[in-house]
Amino acid sequence: MKTLKLTLVSAIIILISGFTSTAFAQSKLTAREIVDKAYNLPTGDDMTSNLTMTLINKNGDERVRKIKQFSRDFGKVEKKIMFFISPADVRNTSFMDWSYDDPGKSDDMWIYLPALKKVKRISSDSKSDYFMGSDFTYDDLGDRKVDDDTHKLLKEETIDGVKYYVIESTPKDPDYMYSKTITWIREDNFVGLKKEFYDEDGELLKVLHIKKVENIGGFLTRTQSEMDNVQKNHKTIIKLENVKYNTGIPASKFSERMMMRGI
Amino acid sequence: MTRILIKLLDYKWWTMILILLITVFFVYKMKQNTRMETDLDKYMPQDHPAFIYSDKAEDWFDIKDGIIIAIENKKGIFNSETLDTLKQLTKRFQKFKEIDKNDVTSLYTADNIVGSDGGIDVKRFYKRVPHSQKRLEKLKKSVEKNDMIFGRLVSDDETVTVIVAEIGKDVFNQDFYNRILKTAKASETKDIKIYVAGRPIVEGTMALLGPKDMKKMVPIVLIVIFIVLFITLRSLKATLITLGVVFFSTIWTFGLMATVNVPIYAVSTMIPVMLIAIGVADGIHLFSHLQTYVNLNPGISKKEAVSEMLTTLWKPVVMTSVTTAVGFISLLTSQVYPVKYFGIFTAFGVLVAMVFSLVFLPACIMIFGLPKAKTGNVEEDKGGHSHSKIANSFTNAIIKHRKLVIFITAIIVILSIVGMKEIWINSSFLEKFEKNSDIVQTDKFINEHFGGTSTINLILDANGKKDAFKNPEVLKLVTKMQHDVDSSLQVVGNTFSLADYIKRMNKVMHSDKEEFNSIPDSKNMIAQYLLLYEMSGDPENLNKVVDYNYDKLNITFQLKSDNSKDLKKAIAIIEKYRNDFAKKGITVNYAGSGYKALVFTDLILDGQIKSLIMSLIIILILLSVMFKNIWIGLIGSVPIIITALISFGVMGFLGIPLNTTTALLSSIAVGIGIDYAVHFLEQYRLNAAKTNNKLEAAQITMAHSGKAIIYNAIVVIAGFLVLLFSVFPPNRELGALVSLNMFTSFVGTLTIMLVLLYQSNIYFKNKANNY
Repeated sequence: MKTLKLTLVSAIIILISGFTSTAFAQSKLTAREIVDKAYNLPTGDDMTSNLTMTLINKNGDERVRKIKQFSRDFGKVEKKIMFFISPADVRNTSFMDWSYDDPGKSDDMWIYLPALKKVKRISSDSKSDYFMGSDFTYDDLGDRKVDDDTHKLLKEETIDGVKYYVIESTPKDPDYMYSKTITWIREDNFVGLKKEFYDEDGELLKVLHIKKVENIGGFLTRTQSEMDNVQKNHKTIIKLENVKYNTGIPASKFSERMMMRGI
Repeated sequence: MTRILIKLLDYKWWTMILILLITVFFVYKMKQNTRMETDLDKYMPQDHPAFIYSDKAEDWFDIKDGIIIAIENKKGIFNSETLDTLKQLTKRFQKFKEIDKNDVTSLYTADNIVGSDGGIDVKRFYKRVPHSQKRLEKLKKSVEKNDMIFGRLVSDDETVTVIVAEIGKDVFNQDFYNRILKTAKASETKDIKIYVAGRPIVEGTMALLGPKDMKKMVPIVLIVIFIVLFITLRSLKATLITLGVVFFSTIWTFGLMATVNVPIYAVSTMIPVMLIAIGVADGIHLFSHLQTYVNLNPGISKKEAVSEMLTTLWKPVVMTSVTTAVGFISLLTSQVYPVKYFGIFTAFGVLVAMVFSLVFLPACIMIFGLPKAKTGNVEEDKGGHSHSKIANSFTNAIIKHRKLVIFITAIIVILSIVGMKEIWINSSFLEKFEKNSDIVQTDKFINEHFGGTSTINLILDANGKKDAFKNPEVLKLVTKMQHDVDSSLQVVGNTFSLADYIKRMNKVMHSDKEEFNSIPDSKNMIAQYLLLYEMSGDPENLNKVVDYNYDKLNITFQLKSDNSKDLKKAIAIIEKYRNDFAKKGITVNYAGSGYKALVFTDLILDGQIKSLIMSLIIILILLSVMFKNIWIGLIGSVPIIITALISFGVMGFLGIPLNTTTALLSSIAVGIGIDYAVHFLEQYRLNAAKTNNKLEAAQITMAHSGKAIIYNAIVVIAGFLVLLFSVFPPNRELGALVSLNMFTSFVGTLTIMLVLLYQSNIYFKNKANNY
């Protein structure tokens, strides 16, 4: 299956949702193969969910955003549309993203502000930027390709009776924002448990914890995850609810007209 | 007491060994434990409401002081060479371990949000350095159109661009500064000049330069004092012993500081200054007396001579030291810890110097023998008295023209009070440097091209009312206030707040039309712009201007000067809006290092005035009790009051602002003024008991005490005038003011106090009745 790009839905799927649980005993997979399996897992053709994103700053102040999101894989393009439900003052603000398989083609993005009553195209060249003030970068949310890094199996570790591969991934681009990441991947179903991100100076920057994994319609879906920026003492919690796969979202859902119509 | 002191003379060796042992202990402790405190935040009283709020606000909005690296190319900055230098330097500073990568801002790191017909565009201004003329021209245009960048990161004339690197507290040190300078200067070429400025540089350099300059100057001061002391005492032995008293008391004081783990603050460098000025006094008085006595009684044994000296002088020595110590202890009322410590430890030093004068000094004489008798005065015509001719005629003149003395004193006092009105407080760090120094010149250069190197942070607090700052009415008021401050004060170069982001977004969303460079009327619109900015720009930027719940706002005012007068002018305009904000449930507060320095200086001054008044009252009481006469108390306080008044008056006339150092100097007026007065009063009392003639009592006192006082004044003034050659202006001011205080103290004691004493008839009233 193709790598999903930039879109939040796909991101959640990659990070949070399950992997095909090929629960058969694996014999001597290479680090790259493990990561490849973890990265490239099937999801449904389309997905609907309610997403709650809670940002917590170092003072313990919270910003809570509820979003209704739809996504669908059209083969060469992955389309996503999201509507803000709350806070009330941004209700019905919507965001649409078309992400192309062709690596040379950058995403098309639109924003609709109900107070302005206009759909505007956005173009942005800052991909390593943090997503909506959260501790997730667009890259963390799924834009990373297996061969962007070199992978090394550090060890196998048993935590609470479950066996994990511990994989260190070092970016091939020396200027990348992380110097390395370390990921704990379940040996039986390739679901991640946690991931550590190290900054350019090799110091621990962020830790991702997968808090909850549910089997929804046959897809292992990570419905709750938490990213801690240990340097900034800032944290983001993402929860998915009402997750539905393969409901047959029509192609017309992903249009400017639907953006303006609202939820 | 006299008996104990004389008894101690028999244990001279034990005394010496004990003193040396304790000194060795303190030296060891100093070696082990002495540390300088250069972090100015540590000087601030942490429990003061203004500081507590400011610290909290600094934490909420990540307010830090920025180092400014300016890159100048007279031919303009929009060429590949300059843009490449900017990029490389930005990256190099991001790699500094002391600097957080995200805290480095320049045209290279900045996002450019622009609007077009169909949409909006979030782009870096450049990533790869543009080479073609067309691309350079395009970059130039986009900078000119973005007023969040133009005038802030790129100067209006397009010849200078800056990199701002914000650093945390406690980061600055000499090595860091040198590395910054080296990195910056390494990129200079024929066309490109690079400057480094900003508050951390100014503060850091000052914290390093002051003590460094002092270290260089103090030995010279000591040498001069040594020479002058030698000339006046005419004995190497006496000179060395007197300086020994100062030397050992300074070591004990700093040793005690190290033992109880108190760091050396900038004001602590004033302690040796105080101890030199005050410590030599006892020695001079003691030796002066001893020499006169030995001259009058040739062939006397050293034990007899020393015993006589102690009998006559232990009391004034103790009295002067105790009153001086009390004066310094009154500094405990200050809210500023370094000043409190300064007070306690100087008091300790003064008392130690007293013990040394009464124990170490006699022990030294017992061991090393009497200092050579002065030969100079032996042949002098004593005019029928046992004292000098000059003293006689001077005393006569003063008494004769006493009305004139009172009149002149009154005029000087009035003038001083007039001068004091001109006095002003300055918390400026920059103005402590030479006008032509690199640091001032660089600052001036950057201020000419940009908004300013000093900042005030205005914190608007809706007191927990969520989303208060999404309200268009509030943001419009903020904009109005910003505009008011910016346009009515030349010194304010820039203002910056959440309102600027909203205006920018509004413009961008309306195809960059200038008429939309304003706050929209709808709260939802503002909320949606903010969301959009978070999604497309760098949300960290927003965290610096508004808090998470949108109930606190940080507005930055950039000023071209860190002078207290200018800061206060800006604050005065802001304060006009306090009521308008209060109506909306919003309170106005301030934060940031510039503001804290302002409050801090006010606190020091306030505390200083309070403690000055308090110490005057205590000294008045002490003097009255010691001399069992309230009039003596009042008369004895006169030289102190005059010294303090003239000191402040001269500062007012010369435009020397009050700051931490100069404010503390009033303590020296107290410390020295009281010494002179007590010595003079005690001698006068003793002499009055011996004679029925007021004038003769005055003349003898003048010959003995007066001489010692003049010697003392000359020695210390000569020493401190050396500081006039210091390269650090505050140290020059210190030298000038200490000298001035010494001078007025001694003149005041020998003139107006003498006249008042004479007029009051104290010690002669009963006698007059009897005869």
